[in-house]
Amino acid sequence: MPAAGIETGGARPAQSYWNESWERLRANRIGMTAGILIVVLAAIAVMAPLFSLVLTHYQPQTINLDQTFAKPGAAHLLGSDELGRDTLTRLIWGARVSLGVALLTVALSLSVGTTVGMVAGYYGGWIDDVLMRLVDTVLAIPAIFLFILMSILFRPNAFTLAAIIASVGWGSVARLVRGEVLSVKQRDFVVATRSIGASDSRLMVRHLLPNVLPVLIVAASLGVGQIILVEAALDFLGLGIQPPTPSWGNMLTNAQSYFFRSGWLVALPGITIFITVLASNLFGNAIRDAFDPRLKS
Amino acid sequence: MTQPLLQVQDLHTVFSTKEGQVKAVDGVSFELNAGETLGIVGESGCGKSVTALSIIRLQRPGRIVGGKVMFKGQDLTRVSEDEMREIRGREIAMIFQDPMTSLNPVYRVGWQVGEPTRLHNGLDARKAFSSAVSMLGRVGIPSAASRARDYPHQFSGGMRQRAMIAMGLTTTPHVLIADEPTTALDVTIQAQILDLLRDVNRDFGTATILITHNLGVVAGMCQRLIVMYAGKIVEAGPTADVFAHPKHPYTWSLLRSIPRLDAETHEPLKPIEGLPPNLVDLPSGCAFHPRCAFRVEKCSRDVPALLRVGDTQQSACWVTQSGTELKGG
Repeated sequence: MPAAGIETGGARPAQSYWNESWERLRANRIGMTAGILIVVLAAIAVMAPLFSLVLTHYQPQTINLDQTFAKPGAAHLLGSDELGRDTLTRLIWGARVSLGVALLTVALSLSVGTTVGMVAGYYGGWIDDVLMRLVDTVLAIPAIFLFILMSILFRPNAFTLAAIIASVGWGSVARLVRGEVLSVKQRDFVVATRSIGASDSRLMVRHLLPNVLPVLIVAASLGVGQIILVEAALDFLGLGIQPPTPSWGNMLTNAQSYFFRSGWLVALPGITIFITVLASNLFGNAIRDAFDPRLKS
Repeated sequence: MTQPLLQVQDLHTVFSTKEGQVKAVDGVSFELNAGETLGIVGESGCGKSVTALSIIRLQRPGRIVGGKVMFKGQDLTRVSEDEMREIRGREIAMIFQDPMTSLNPVYRVGWQVGEPTRLHNGLDARKAFSSAVSMLGRVGIPSAASRARDYPHQFSGGMRQRAMIAMGLTTTPHVLIADEPTTALDVTIQAQILDLLRDVNRDFGTATILITHNLGVVAGMCQRLIVMYAGKIVEAGPTADVFAHPKHPYTWSLLRSIPRLDAETHEPLKPIEGLPPNLVDLPSGCAFHPRCAFRVEKCSRDVPALLRVGDTQQSACWVTQSGTELKGG
């Protein structure tokens, strides 16, 4: 940028909306800690095979009947279960499932919800009516029964599970986006952009979408914790990821029977879920405060 | 007589509301010649903005229910949406009242000012940005190269309006519609923006439609002027003649309601009695008659047509059409 340096007379920092939000986020220590924790968890999940090789020296599904119910110690850092499988290894691999499903679900419900909400809010009229009644319908169905039904119909793996959870989740995103579009649409730049010959799709994608992006980011970050909980609950009920693939939820199911004998089998996945969800929610709140200070309660 | 650049013929635009149908534009006809500046004057809600928006078919949620907008041999009310998009921004550009909200807050000013050239002239992002920078320089943005990298909230109101004008000009359109371009600005900035519009008109030869409620703005800018009231044109003519001898009581009252620096005696200003009419339920006959000091019996019964009165003007008034001069105190 050669020209910029010469011509800025009274140099003031170009504070964009994103810069300001980032500054506010950085100043929030609890939020940043939670954010870093999530990044670390995600990194661990991504590198699970590496951890298996280097750190724990176990594979998540390797059965070793000589070392069942091992207490946490040198051989098994966090103990082992009734089939002698290493708990730490299974927790690490379980993170892949939990975080992977959460990410996929957020991506799915955001893209569907944003599209529907954008179209409904932008065009209004009967299109809005039809789409929003559809959303009302989806949100009126008790989610747990829908999950149970769909889990029976489709053999759940990470992808179908994400699709199942997102099939409900997109509704609230659509409502959120529609509301935001309705308000942004009133601003003069929309008609100004139309006056230069921009098409509807260009207006929606290039002009309205960036303006609703902050609420999307907030919705996404607040949604993650909730989805992890839902996913764990489905796994726990046997409606989600099926054993022997480890997930935090089905590890809990498995451990029920050994609650008094080997408490760590219950405690460890429980604590992991708890910390992850707490971190997600704290980070989500921090994101919300950073992007939309008006919403701060 | 050369063909006018833009011809609006008997345009009707309506809005459907719960209370009934609002005829926001009710049979408006006018012409715009190449290179001229035409003023459209009227108070809030008289249909001047809707007229302008209807020209480029952005009157939504209103509907154009009649009339033609002839531009370069085609009727803009009939061309396809795709063709219309090609005309918007390329042939006819528009700038709006409130520069504070007319720019998208999430993009750099240069990006936005360059957007019409990306849409219409096929420029890539880099070229569009540099054309935006040079246009921003021409409309008087200091250090345009660095200011183009700013976001709209870093611009003052006057600078944003300059940026909007620059955005309108990047494609060198034939018509520039300025809808109350100075209303939201303070007085010194108003004068600068009007000077800029005058320069644009001279340097680019862009025909300009200037919409305003401010007669003073029209006096300094426009060769011809149209006065609208309740969706109709009530008077039209060369600015100097209309100011000297208004041929419609509404124009006459408007001119008496503005202060004059050259007045010999300090007369109190004369506001127009009454309120603007409710567009859902217009008075019978001439819509202005309840507020008119010259009304005769016919005024509440029959709607006057816009007819030639005097040598150069047109007026829709039974009184002046019958030859009566508007006088009084």
